[in-house]
Amino acid sequence: MKFAIALFSPPHAPSSRRALRFAQAALAGGHEIVRLFFYQDGVHSASSNVVCAQDEVDLPREWREFVQAQQLDGVVCIAAALRRGVLNDDEAQRYSRTAANLDATWELSGLGQLHEAAQLADRLVCFGGP
Amino acid sequence: MATLHVLSHSPFTDSRLSSCLRILGSQDALLLCGDAVYALQDGSAQRQALELMPESIALYALDEDVQARGLVFPARLTLVDYPGFVALSCQYDKVNTWL
Repeated sequence: MKFAIALFSPPHAPSSRRALRFAQAALAGGHEIVRLFFYQDGVHSASSNVVCAQDEVDLPREWREFVQAQQLDGVVCIAAALRRGVLNDDEAQRYSRTAANLDATWELSGLGQLHEAAQLADRLVCFGGP
Repeated sequence: MATLHVLSHSPFTDSRLSSCLRILGSQDALLLCGDAVYALQDGSAQRQALELMPESIALYALDEDVQARGLVFPARLTLVDYPGFVALSCQYDKVNTWL
């Protein structure tokens, strides 16, 4: 089965961890993930500036390693990211900001990518809230 | 079209659970995760509402969240792990998360 997974919550929300565990279980079960889409506060999980306490789960790092290892299509909503200060090199240059913090694992794109993922997948599963 | 409804907000802070219960179809199912598992709290109106659902509506909860809160759950509840959550997503036609 093909899954599209959308994440709406920041890395410190338990639902963000559930999204990752669900995605891992989906692949372990032989399913396919057509796209991961980070929207609203979910964009913070794509930031390379998040620092976690040593005894806590580092979700942005886990997501990064997961997406890289599985070669997934990880898309971050550009409008949601810009307003939250999550920028890649192109956007930092365009808006004359001093630093970029979007990890190279991720691609900034529009909401159309979520719509397309929902069409391509058999199931769209969203994670958000607490 | 059978839908799996996924709730994660505490039923004591908003009306998502009661709204969800109102619109549930007879073949739909409910998956409680995170603080939504507090709906299973013994003696609460929410627990009573869940127990009064028609038998055709399946009730699931994420095992880790029930364990973490030490809740005593009703007989009709089925605990699932993450592979179980994935299996439910396949079993039902749609997954509707109450964000």
